[in-house]
Amino acid sequence: MSEHSRITRNRREFLCDAFCGFGALALGTMLQQQALRAAPLGNMNPLAPKAADMPDKAKAKAVVFLFMSGGPSHMETFDPKPLLNKLNGQKRPASFGEAKYQFVTSEAKLLGTKRTFKRYGKSGIEVSDLFPHMAECVDDMAVIRSCYADMVVHSAAQYQLFTGRVIPGFPSMGSWTLYGLGSESDSLPAYVVMPDPHGAQEAGQPMYANGFLPAIYQPTFFRPGDKPVLNLDLPAGVSMTERKKTLDFIRGLNQANMAPDDSEYAARINAYDLAFKMQTEAPAVFDLSTEPQETLDMYGIGKPVTDDYGRRCLLSRRLIEKGVRFVCPVSGGGTGVLQWDAHDDIEENHLRMAAQTDQPIAALMKDLKRRGLLDTTLVVWGGEFGRSPESQGSKGRDHHNLGFSMWMAGGGIKGGQVVGATDEIGLKAVESPYHFRDVHTTILNQLGLSQDALSYMHQGRKERLTEVHGKVISEIV
Amino acid sequence: MLVFSALLAAETIAPLGTYKPAERRHWAFVKRSQPEVPKFASAADRTWARNPVDAFILARLKKEDLRPSPPADRATLIRRVYFDLTGLPPTPRDVAQFVADKSPDSYTKLVDRLLDSPHYGERWGQHWLDVVRFAETDGFEYDTQRKDAWRYRDYVIRAFQNDKPFDRFVTEQLAGDEVAPQEDETLIASGFNRLGPLRKNAGNQEVASSRNEVLTEMTNVVGSALLGVTLGCARCHDHKFDPIRQSDYYRIQAYFAAAQDKDLPRASAEEQAAWKAKAEPIEAEIKKIRSSMKGSTPDQREQLLKKMEEVQEKMPEPLPSVQAVVDNMQQKSSIHLLARGDYQNKGDAVGMRPLGVLLPDAAPELAQDIQKPRAELAKWITDPDNPLTARVMVNRIWQGHFGRGIVASPNDFGRMGEHPTHPELLDFLANEFVASGFSVKHIHRLILSSNAYRQASAVANTAAAEKDPDNKLLWKFNRRRLEAEEIRDAMLAASGKLNEKAGGPSVMIPIDKGLVKALYKPSQWVPAKDQAEYSRRSIYLISKRNLHLPFMEVFDAPDSLASCPRRESSTHAPQALELMNGTLSNQQAEALAKRLETEAGPGPRKQVDLAYRLVRGRAPNPKEMQQSLAFLKTQSRREFALAMLNLNAFLYVN
Repeated sequence: MSEHSRITRNRREFLCDAFCGFGALALGTMLQQQALRAAPLGNMNPLAPKAADMPDKAKAKAVVFLFMSGGPSHMETFDPKPLLNKLNGQKRPASFGEAKYQFVTSEAKLLGTKRTFKRYGKSGIEVSDLFPHMAECVDDMAVIRSCYADMVVHSAAQYQLFTGRVIPGFPSMGSWTLYGLGSESDSLPAYVVMPDPHGAQEAGQPMYANGFLPAIYQPTFFRPGDKPVLNLDLPAGVSMTERKKTLDFIRGLNQANMAPDDSEYAARINAYDLAFKMQTEAPAVFDLSTEPQETLDMYGIGKPVTDDYGRRCLLSRRLIEKGVRFVCPVSGGGTGVLQWDAHDDIEENHLRMAAQTDQPIAALMKDLKRRGLLDTTLVVWGGEFGRSPESQGSKGRDHHNLGFSMWMAGGGIKGGQVVGATDEIGLKAVESPYHFRDVHTTILNQLGLSQDALSYMHQGRKERLTEVHGKVISEIV
Repeated sequence: MLVFSALLAAETIAPLGTYKPAERRHWAFVKRSQPEVPKFASAADRTWARNPVDAFILARLKKEDLRPSPPADRATLIRRVYFDLTGLPPTPRDVAQFVADKSPDSYTKLVDRLLDSPHYGERWGQHWLDVVRFAETDGFEYDTQRKDAWRYRDYVIRAFQNDKPFDRFVTEQLAGDEVAPQEDETLIASGFNRLGPLRKNAGNQEVASSRNEVLTEMTNVVGSALLGVTLGCARCHDHKFDPIRQSDYYRIQAYFAAAQDKDLPRASAEEQAAWKAKAEPIEAEIKKIRSSMKGSTPDQREQLLKKMEEVQEKMPEPLPSVQAVVDNMQQKSSIHLLARGDYQNKGDAVGMRPLGVLLPDAAPELAQDIQKPRAELAKWITDPDNPLTARVMVNRIWQGHFGRGIVASPNDFGRMGEHPTHPELLDFLANEFVASGFSVKHIHRLILSSNAYRQASAVANTAAAEKDPDNKLLWKFNRRRLEAEEIRDAMLAASGKLNEKAGGPSVMIPIDKGLVKALYKPSQWVPAKDQAEYSRRSIYLISKRNLHLPFMEVFDAPDSLASCPRRESSTHAPQALELMNGTLSNQQAEALAKRLETEAGPGPRKQVDLAYRLVRGRAPNPKEMQQSLAFLKTQSRREFALAMLNLNAFLYVN
């Protein structure tokens, strides 16, 4: 019972493998879980919604992961370090310990920040002047200043952020979420990645992918523009009425030769019905022109700097509204300078990247909140690592994985607080450090999924999102 | 003595290990039995049991009080065996001839003809490529193309085509450079050791870490592809379920300690000189751009990067080379147990030795200075007495024919894997395999000539369905959905557009611009200039780790990052969207519509008849004919053709 191929093939084959196989080893509840997740009983749609393992913990129904690709600096955003400014231009005092970077050497000098920080909201959380809009939402945000992870190069760090492993081939958190909960929507893809139109990430497609989980849990990549989904449009010259007749014809011929209890053929007929539903209903969801001007303005749509990310954030809300389970609008893509990867010039890079995302993200938070969706939508912000307290060149910062910031909001997260701390120069997470696996565990927890129960037999191992057991970030749930 | 104790002080040798009798008794680790072929009292049973395969199947069915199903009709059978052996449908003419040919050896002749067809190697080569996670790029951020990886793909196709003895096939892949260092064929085969993803990151490379990753890839695939055990589980700790210690893992790894990648140029000195003359000025230009990038603003940098890509385009095509591995005894990695698999956390040193559970207790390691270490490993794996190798391969062959192995977990014969449904049959086939000189085609013939294989799949047998709902005992044949490559190839065959050209460099086809843009380096996707190449068989389309062709992906093609022992067969809405609205299906529908008109003439009845023969390998039944004619009265032939390519009757093999 331990293959790449653990099965969407046929629920019955599957259940029988698990329970009454000739001589099969029963793995008890784990396989039972896996079997039941494979396809809910009595439903032809393999992505039909499934109950959470821990219903009492399930606060969130959906996740928006605001992926800041390239690694935003914590010292310029959510983690003010007055001492770093004082030590600007000096070598790091030995008392802070060692760190391994990608490019900067032990000769590098500390680099103070030009950003200024202010306290916002009732909670008085400090946010830098890069994020004046996001700052208005701090009372909903739990800022985790003590994140850390294992890798200091993009691709491996990105794999770890999304899949818990530093190599490709493992399912991403979006795929695991679908595997656990299915989808609330039958006319939209359930797990959506909206790449930055500037280009891709170093880790490429496999970072977001379903790994060894069945293909139904794969992400759908939205293309820029108003037709984000491949194959949703009819071919040129074919009308919807004409196509409907073709579909009815296919159905008729398929049914003409079908035994009444043929569940696989029935599932395929059902897939055509679902496809037609997607085709007719999804375009309306993608059409932002129906939104009132006030909403478009709130997201910064129509302003050149914010238009693109604003559209993707607004589309995220519209997808969440329709029951999409996991949405990932990506900020940054293509060459490093077009990501948060500020090797050359932290000022120029972060001012630019922040200007593109600050208003849209704040708008998404406020929009979800006023529609009552924030309570059930977990919003997560972060990159694959932070940046080095030392300068690279004269004004850039290198990758840095030993201490950096992420934040979570909504979906049952207790906002308006700061968790953990890095040391006085932002080098290492020293107070309540939290690894990516803890972030993963917390995301699953808010969805009512336990990291142990959400598992899958693959190549003889019971795999889960967290390779090493993670802990829930207890302060914020 | 002094020297010896000094060595001991420097490095502790890992214990040689003992294995409990219960561990050694696991069915897959014990010597193959010589099972007796069941005999039957009744004449009917004796007639049905045409060959030993049938005898084992029938005996097991009878034990459950079950009966086999009647044979499939001839049109169904020929379509089945065509897809099974070649991945392509029979032509209407093939079907007509076979249905008409009543001679007793017509089926045997058909099987022989298909085993000889060049398409056989293309179909069965693909199965092997799945198992060895074949791809033509590195993966990770650069996902660099391995320009000559297609040579390995062609090698595999040739090997199956020529029925290369499987022991030789394994040996060439593991150690081709050691056993025949002068032959391109075997050097290409040794590229097997380089098939895994390869990390080449920007910035400071951790050499030791990279080497460890390379060795890990080389080692793990020995377990999954060749031995059918989850050896990789023992990389970080002793295997939790199987008698494979962590020391076993690293002792297998030790065989690869000296293996290094080597690209062997295959061009004449003049060609190499000419290439250099063209490349050098371009390389110099690239270097200049790179140095002017330092200190440039992001906008300038963007410009420079663009320029660099333009310049890079001018580079001459790389010269042909063979991507092999060779031993470098001077740079041999020292192999240690690694705590949690972490290369910085070295434990005891180990040397080469096969899996301990298959050796007497405390069997010693091999001498450290043997000159052909991987050939030594291959010798052990292909030893006729190795209990795993032959069983694992005949099981893969069985799965290829019946959709499910005798052991349903083909990469895991361990305790967490499935038990064989027919252990005696498995041993019988493995014995036959070894005795035939590891002939894959011999096993094909044994299986295909059985009555078990020729049973119908569409049978109503409530009692059997109740007792054995998954048909593990084969009381009927298993219907299966076509695999991604088969669907595409069969569409091209039906439309008449299939380009049957075999072998050579892989083809990039035009795909959605958004997907190309989503590549870290969009310049990596360059569709072939010759459009005829777009209609080649799917096995000749490029397999790129960071950009899977959407058509292949949606129909469950494996991700080529880990060994895939058995394809998924999922059913979901994006498949329907692909087949209804996708470029490929609509182009082929267009071509099929034209073909129907050209070949069947203007009458709709004849067109419907030909359409069914092309996509389904039989004439339409009256209901199908009537519905089709009604549709064609008001709708276009193009839509009719598209519908044909969306039918379950097309997408499944009965």
